[in-house]
Amino acid sequence: MPRRRIYDPLTELLAAVLLVVLVLVVNRWEFSLAVLVLGVLPAVLLSGRPRQIGLAIALVTGPLLVSSLLLHGLFFPEGRTVLADLGIARVTAEGLSFAALMGLRMGVFSGVLLTAAMTLDVPELLASMTHRGWNRKLVFVVGSAVGLIPHVALRGQRITRAQQARGLVVGRGPLSRFRALLTVLTPLVIGLLVDASERNRMLEARGFSSPGVRTSYLPDTDSPRQRLVRRCMVAAVAVFSTVWLVASP
Amino acid sequence: MSSLTLAPTARQRPRRLLIGLGGALIAATYLFLVTVQPVEIAGGVGSAASLVTLFGFLGGGALLVGGILPMLSTSSLVVMPLGIALNIAIGQIAGSLGMQIYLDAIGTVLVAVLAGPAAGAATGALSNAIWGLFNPFALPFAAGAALIGLLAGLAARYGAFRRVYLAPAAGLVVGAVGGLVAAPVAVFMFGAAGTFGTNAIIAVFRSMGDKLLVAATKQGLLSDSLDKIVVFVIVALIVYALPPRAVRQFPFARTHRVLGQRTASEPAGGPAATVRGDGAGIA
Repeated sequence: MPRRRIYDPLTELLAAVLLVVLVLVVNRWEFSLAVLVLGVLPAVLLSGRPRQIGLAIALVTGPLLVSSLLLHGLFFPEGRTVLADLGIARVTAEGLSFAALMGLRMGVFSGVLLTAAMTLDVPELLASMTHRGWNRKLVFVVGSAVGLIPHVALRGQRITRAQQARGLVVGRGPLSRFRALLTVLTPLVIGLLVDASERNRMLEARGFSSPGVRTSYLPDTDSPRQRLVRRCMVAAVAVFSTVWLVASP
Repeated sequence: MSSLTLAPTARQRPRRLLIGLGGALIAATYLFLVTVQPVEIAGGVGSAASLVTLFGFLGGGALLVGGILPMLSTSSLVVMPLGIALNIAIGQIAGSLGMQIYLDAIGTVLVAVLAGPAAGAATGALSNAIWGLFNPFALPFAAGAALIGLLAGLAARYGAFRRVYLAPAAGLVVGAVGGLVAAPVAVFMFGAAGTFGTNAIIAVFRSMGDKLLVAATKQGLLSDSLDKIVVFVIVALIVYALPPRAVRQFPFARTHRVLGQRTASEPAGGPAATVRGDGAGIA
């Protein structure tokens, strides 16, 4: 069951971004591990969708972690402490340490941002942006794109099935695949452009490009206290980062 | 400037300033990372380099979008979500067809060809920003994606899509530039971690003793150039297959005769009459 939203989406997104910034500033595996265990893990468990978010993090981060471990674990010419010599590849302590540091950083990066994004209510975020006075063209593009992605994917699947029913066979060669992609993409793009053309006329007829204040149909979930908290969070991270970077050797 | 071209208004000047600042920030970040920052990778990539990468490229991309969006016409704006959704969805289609390259810039290049370099740049940057909601690793590459959109639009403006054999040449150049810009982001943010295929190429260069940034740059030059050659050819073939009416609704494609003879002829009282005043010069 989805959790009850307490904070404004902008506050949650900003908190996630600032956590990533802190991990980059501190740049130590111990801190990254602490953020993963004490921050990301409880957030995922309390999100109301732990299975979906955990799976998404594993699918997005897993292949990158494995390829990073193979790359730096086996090919790290700067490494001096050789643990195993495999001919052209050498396993070095420095390479493994670098892979661990980068792996933890990537884990925090994807864990924090995916948890924030997957618990996000996009219409609420767009309403919050509108209430805060963000550029309405930006709000339109973001909202339309997020809404269009599943529509485009579905239409693409339908066209693929229709072309396959008409005899499309994807061979192993790159030319055959290229041709197959074109037979799907061309009708897909033409259909989407026709839709866009109609949307253009409708928006213009409703005064989209005219200046003036817009009305949001969703209530503002932001509050003066949250705005103050956001400013304080940014100031605290900025001060901490400056002190840390100046003080660290 | 012709006598009919209006001088920039007071409202447009700050926007152009934002675009200039964004471009300068991205260029300065790249120069800093490549020339000033010592790349002694053994002790880690350093927090300063990672922070500069994140804020320089993301901040530059945000400034570009902030400057470009208010200047875009409605016809350019409505096609941008289409490009963004195509970028993300085509990856899935390519995967289902067994393609081995990502093709994640088809939407960006398509928008750039139809609506111009500014719309292309904004589509590229926003595409990666929105993709970041599903795959956070795409987020820091937003500035590189914006650059690809910008260059694709400029290539279209100067005739790269008027003949099908010119498109791959333009793709090669744009891909090389994109690969150069993406390499420091991959190195300083994620230690050059990528797919198994791209990391295998980096591993080859690393086994020859190259530094990580050099190896990632060489890989970027190879992979991105090949990817953009394919993307540019696909987009060229798609836009050639579009009905002329669909192309002529875009003032940029019409004004600059992006597709040559295909968009040159315009029937009297045709679609151009319905979209007049859409800011072809801006987009």
